[in-house]
Amino acid sequence: MASRVSADADTFPKLLVRNARAFGERPAMRHKDLGIWQTWTWAQVLDEARAYAAGLHRLGVRRSDTVAIVGGNRPRLYWSVTAAQMLGAVPVPVYADAVADELAYVLAHADVRFAAVEDQEQVDKILSVSDRLPKLEKLVYDEPKGLRDYDHANLRAIDDVIADGRKALAEDGKLASWLDAEIAAGKGSDVSIILYTSGTTGQSKGVVLSAERCIAAAMDTVAFDRLNERDEALSYLPMAWVGDHYLNYAQQFVAAFCTACTETRDTAMADLREIGPTFFFAPPRIFEQMLTRVMIRMEDAGVLKRAMFRYFIGVARRYGEAILNGQPVPFAGRLLYALGLLLVYGPLKNVLGLSKVRVAYTAGEAIGPDLFSFYRSLGLNLKQLYGQTEAFLYVTAQPDGQIYADTVGPAMPNVDIRIADNGEVLFKSPGMFVSYFKDDLKTGETMTPDGYVKTGDAGFFDAKTGHLKIIDRAKDVGKLRDGTLFPPKYIENKLKFYPNIREAVAYGDGRDFVAVMINIDLTAVGSWAERNNVVYGSYQELAGHPLVYDMIAKNIEETNRSLAEDPVTAGAQVKRFLILHKELDADDGEVTRTQKVRRGFVAERYAPLIAALYDGSAEADISTEVTFEDGRKGSISARVKVRDVATVPVKPAMGKAA
Amino acid sequence: MLGPIIETLIGGLLTGVLYALVALGFVLIFKASGVFNFAQGAMVLFAALSVARLSEVMPLVFAVAIAVVIMVVLAYVIERLVLRPLVNQEGIILFMATLGVAYFIDGFGQTVWGSDIYKINLGIPKDPMFFFEGVFPGGILIDREEVAAAAVCAILVAGLAIFFQVTRTGRALRAVADDHQAAQSVGIPLNYIWLIVWAVAGIVAIAAGMVWGSKLGVQFSISLVALKALPVLILGGFTSIPGAIVGGLIIGAGEKLAEVLLGPILIKTFDLAGGGIENWFAYMLALVFLLFRPQGLFGERIIERI
Amino acid sequence: MRAPAASDIAAGEVLLSVEDVTLSFGGVVALRDVSFDIKKGEIRAIIGPNGAGKTSMLNVINGFYQPQKGSISFKGETRTKMRPYDAADGGIARTFQNVALFKGMSALDNILAGRTLKMKRGWFWQMLRIGPALTEEIEHRKRVEEIIDFLEIQAIRKVPVARLPYGLQKRVELGRALAMEPDLLLLDEPMAGMNLEEKEDMSRFIIDVNDHYGTTIALIEHDMGVVMDLSDRVVVLDHGVKIADATPDEVKKDQAVIDAYLGVAH
Repeated sequence: MASRVSADADTFPKLLVRNARAFGERPAMRHKDLGIWQTWTWAQVLDEARAYAAGLHRLGVRRSDTVAIVGGNRPRLYWSVTAAQMLGAVPVPVYADAVADELAYVLAHADVRFAAVEDQEQVDKILSVSDRLPKLEKLVYDEPKGLRDYDHANLRAIDDVIADGRKALAEDGKLASWLDAEIAAGKGSDVSIILYTSGTTGQSKGVVLSAERCIAAAMDTVAFDRLNERDEALSYLPMAWVGDHYLNYAQQFVAAFCTACTETRDTAMADLREIGPTFFFAPPRIFEQMLTRVMIRMEDAGVLKRAMFRYFIGVARRYGEAILNGQPVPFAGRLLYALGLLLVYGPLKNVLGLSKVRVAYTAGEAIGPDLFSFYRSLGLNLKQLYGQTEAFLYVTAQPDGQIYADTVGPAMPNVDIRIADNGEVLFKSPGMFVSYFKDDLKTGETMTPDGYVKTGDAGFFDAKTGHLKIIDRAKDVGKLRDGTLFPPKYIENKLKFYPNIREAVAYGDGRDFVAVMINIDLTAVGSWAERNNVVYGSYQELAGHPLVYDMIAKNIEETNRSLAEDPVTAGAQVKRFLILHKELDADDGEVTRTQKVRRGFVAERYAPLIAALYDGSAEADISTEVTFEDGRKGSISARVKVRDVATVPVKPAMGKAA
Repeated sequence: MLGPIIETLIGGLLTGVLYALVALGFVLIFKASGVFNFAQGAMVLFAALSVARLSEVMPLVFAVAIAVVIMVVLAYVIERLVLRPLVNQEGIILFMATLGVAYFIDGFGQTVWGSDIYKINLGIPKDPMFFFEGVFPGGILIDREEVAAAAVCAILVAGLAIFFQVTRTGRALRAVADDHQAAQSVGIPLNYIWLIVWAVAGIVAIAAGMVWGSKLGVQFSISLVALKALPVLILGGFTSIPGAIVGGLIIGAGEKLAEVLLGPILIKTFDLAGGGIENWFAYMLALVFLLFRPQGLFGERIIERI
Repeated sequence: MRAPAASDIAAGEVLLSVEDVTLSFGGVVALRDVSFDIKKGEIRAIIGPNGAGKTSMLNVINGFYQPQKGSISFKGETRTKMRPYDAADGGIARTFQNVALFKGMSALDNILAGRTLKMKRGWFWQMLRIGPALTEEIEHRKRVEEIIDFLEIQAIRKVPVARLPYGLQKRVELGRALAMEPDLLLLDEPMAGMNLEEKEDMSRFIIDVNDHYGTTIALIEHDMGVVMDLSDRVVVLDHGVKIADATPDEVKKDQAVIDAYLGVAH
C-alpha cells in the first residue's frame, strides 16, 4: 500500500519543501489578526517552519520526542506540528478546552517533553498540573498577553523561538544543512502524529498514525474530490480532532491548498463568510447551528420576506436535490428553482459563507436526513463520510451524484470493508492506524488477526444502492421489552432537527416504551420567548415553562408521525418526555468534547428523572453537581415535569408479525 | 386614462419630495435630542420669508447665503436660550418649549419681514415640460420647478447621509441620539451637537421654504405644511432618514391619486360631494399605519427586554 | 490651556484630589465635606452601603454633577467644578452602573466613539475619506482593534450592542473607555450583575489595564472580595460622609466601617 507514496514525498516536511518549490508564491495559510487577514505563502511557511524547527532543536527537541500542541487553530500551532516533524519528533495535539485533569492525563501518557500552547489560559492549566508531568521540560506559547511577568526559565514565546532559530540558521551554515538532512532522513514509516480519541467510553487512547499512511489516504481523497492548490478551506475545528488534522493538514499539504485560521474560537461563522471557502467540512451540529440561526432570522424578518423564504424553500425541497443529482426535473420546476436561487438560496448561502463551496462534507456522527436534505436542496454539494480516528478519518464517502440521505456511501478507493457476523463493520484502509500508543492490549482487541480494524458500529450494505448504512453504535442498538427495535440515535437525530431542540437523549432498551430527555436550544427558544412575551429569568425557568413544554410536545408528536411511517421504527415512538433543567455539558462529563452524549453516564446521573419517565409520575426532583470552567464545583437542583405525548396507533398485525 | 394617472402620480411624488424635506428637519432634531420640534414649520416659513425679502434687494445666491447665516444664528439662539436651560427635562416640556418657539418665530418673522404674500423667483422657467407625447394623448405634463426641487432634495439627502455615516460629527450625533450621558463621557459636547442639528434643520428648512414658496408664494400657510410632515413621520418612523423620504413620497403620491381615483367613486356610488380627500387621506393612512406598524416603515423595532 | 499630561506626574504622586466637596439636590445632601485623593498608578476603591453617595462622587469627578462647595484638583489644576467635556479632554474616562452604550451601533462603532477626542481632522476631510483623514481613520481603527483583541471580543465586533448579553455589554463599555487612552479610569460597579466567570474575566482586565498601561483606576464595587483583591486603597462613604480611608486590610478591621457597612451587608 505504501508503495504509492514516493520516497521524496513520504513525510509532511518533505511535502512542504515540495510545495514551497512548486507553489512558492501561492497562499498557504491565512489568519485574521487585529481585524486584518494576514497571508503566508508556501515559501514563507517553509521559512517559518524551518526557523521554528531550528529554534526547537536549540531548545532541546530531539528525534522521537513527543511535543504536545494545545490551543485553537492558529498558524504557529500548525507550524509547531511541522517543525516537530522536521526534527523527527512526534506532535500530539490536545483539545484546547480539555480541563486540567484530562490534559494532564494525555500529556503524561504521551510522555511529552515539550508543549506548544496558545496562550496564558493553557500555560496556567499546564502549570497547575506540572507535578503530574515530570517529563515536561519546556513550554512555548503563541499569545504573549498576560504572560509577561511569568518565570521564563522554561517558558518561551514561539516568536522568540522562531527568531532565535532564524538567526542561528543565518549564522551557522552547518545548522541549515543539518536541518535539510534531518528533513530528508524522515521516513514514511515514521510516526507522523498521535491523535488522542475524545473517548466516548473511558479514558482516551492515543492513535498512532504513520506518515506514509496519512499521505496515502489524503492522496486518495484529494483525487476523489479533485482538490488542488486553488482551493481554500477554513480551519476552525479542534486541531486534536482527526477531521481537522486530515483536512487542514494532510489534505492541505497533499493538494497544496490554502487554509485560513479563524480569528478566535468564537468568530468562526463570521470568518467563514469573509473567507468563502471552496472546500468545507463540518460536523452535523455546525450545520444544525447554522440552520437554527437562519430560522431565527426568518422569524424576525418581515412578512413578505418570510413568505418568500417559505415558498422557495418548498420549491427547493421538491426540485433542489434532483437538480443537484442530475435527475430529470420538469422545466417549470427548473425555472422556479432558478428564481429561488436568485432570490433566496444564493443570498442565503452567501450569508452563511457557503456560496463558493464546491465540496462539503459532514461526519463525526449521523446527520438528520431532513437537515442533510435541506442543505443539499439549496444546491450545496454536501456529502457524508463515515470513518473514525483509527482510519485516519474515512472509511466510506458519498460520491458526487450518488447521495442517499440514509447511507454513508460505498467504500472509498483502496478501502476494504467486511461486515462481521455480529453486524459490526470492519475495514482495512490506506490511512489505518498503526497502534494505540503504549497500549498493545487495546490494539490487539481492536484489530482482527487478519489485519482488519473493528469500528464498533453496526451496519449493513443497502441492497438497492450497495452503500453502507450505519444504524448505531453496535452496543447501543437495543430492543424494547416486546422485542421492537430501538435505535436511539435515529430517534434523537429526528428530534434534533427541530431548532428548539438542541440535544435529545432517548431511552428504551429493555423498557416498555421509548422516553426522551430534551435539552432546549437557548437561542431558538429564547428568541421565541421574546417574540411571544414569555418572561423568564434563567435557562432553568425557560426550560420548565408550560408553553415551552407544549411546543416541544408538538415537535415530538410530529416525530412520532414520521416514525410511524416506517414499520421498523413505528413501535419506537416516544410516549413520554421531559425537558432537562440544565444544558448537558462536557465539563460535567455528560457529553464528550465533540458533543456526543454519554448516554450511560447521563442515565446514571439523572436516574430519578428516568425513573419518573417510566413510573408515570408527573414530576421529579433532581439535584446534580456541576463543574464551572475554572474547576470549581457547585450544585443545581430542580423539579422537572414529565409529560405524555400522543403516538400514532401501530397496526398490531405488522408490529407483532415482524 | 393611463396618461393622466401617471401625470398625477409624478405630480404627487414631486409634492412628496417637499413633504420629505420638511419631515427630514423633524427627524434630524428628534434623532439627536429626542425633541419633537413643533417649530419646524415656522422655521420653514421664516427661512422662506428671509430668502424672499432678501432676494428683492440682492441676487438670489447672496440671499440664500445670508439666509443660511440667519438660520445658523437662529439655531444658536434656540440652543442657548431654550434647550440648554431645559437640559434633562421631560420630553413633553421640551415639546411645549418648541411650541412657544414656533409662535415666536411666526410672529417675529412677520415683525422683521412683513406679513404680505411674497414671491421667490428661482429663475426656473414656469412653463411645464411635456413627455411621451407619442405614447399618451397630450403627453405627460411635469412642472420644471418640481423637478428642480426633487434634485435639490436628492443632493441634500445624499450629503446628509454621508455626513452622518462617515464623519466624526455624524458618529457623535448618532451617539448623542442613543445616550446623552455616555456621549458626554467620551467627550462629545452636547451643546455643539445640538447646535449642528438645529443648524442643519434650518438649512433643510431653507430648501423646503424656497421650493414651497416659489410654488405657492411665501405666506403664513407654509408653516402649516409642518402638519403634513406628521403623517409622513408616522409612516417612515421618527428616527429614520430614509423613512422620511419614502414616507414623504408615499403620502405625496397617495393623496393625489386618492383625490383623482377615489373621488369619482365616492361621488358616483355614495352620492357624496367627493372633495377634500387630499386633506384627510394622509392622516387616515397614518392612522392605519399606527395600528399595524407603530414603529414606522424604517423605524427601529421596539423590543423591550426583561 | 490644556492640563499637563499625566506623564509629568510620577507614579505614586497625587493625580486627582477632591477637597471638601459638598453636593446636594434640593434639601437632600448626597455628599458632605468629602476629601480624598487618587494617586497615579493605583487602583482606588470607593465603597459604602446603598445611598452612600458613591456614584454621586464619580459624577462630580467627571463633571455630571457640580458640587455646591469644595474643589477638584486634577493633574495639579484646581477648579471648583468639572465639566464633562473638560474631564474627557483631560483624560478621565468612565463606565456606568447601568451600562450606557450607544444601542444602535455595533461594538466596533461604540469603541470608535471613544476615539472622538483623539480625532483631529475636520468633518470635511472625513467625508472625502482621502489623505490625512484616511490615515488617521486607519490609525484609530488600529488602536480600536488592539482594544478588541485585549478584551477578547473579536466575535462581536460587528454586532449591534443592544443584542449582546449584559456581561459583554459591560466589556464593550470598558473598551470604549479604554479607547480614550485615559489617565484616570472611573468604573461604576464594573461587575454588577455578572456571574462568577465574568467577574473573574473583568478582574483580569482591570488588573491588566492597571499593570500594562499604567492607567489609574477608581472603582465602585459591591463585591467585597473583588475590592479586597484588586484595590490598593479604599475610601468608605456612608450617608455622604467619608468614614474611612485606608488599605483594604485596615478597612476590614475598622470598627466604623464594620458598623456602617460590613455589619449591615453581611
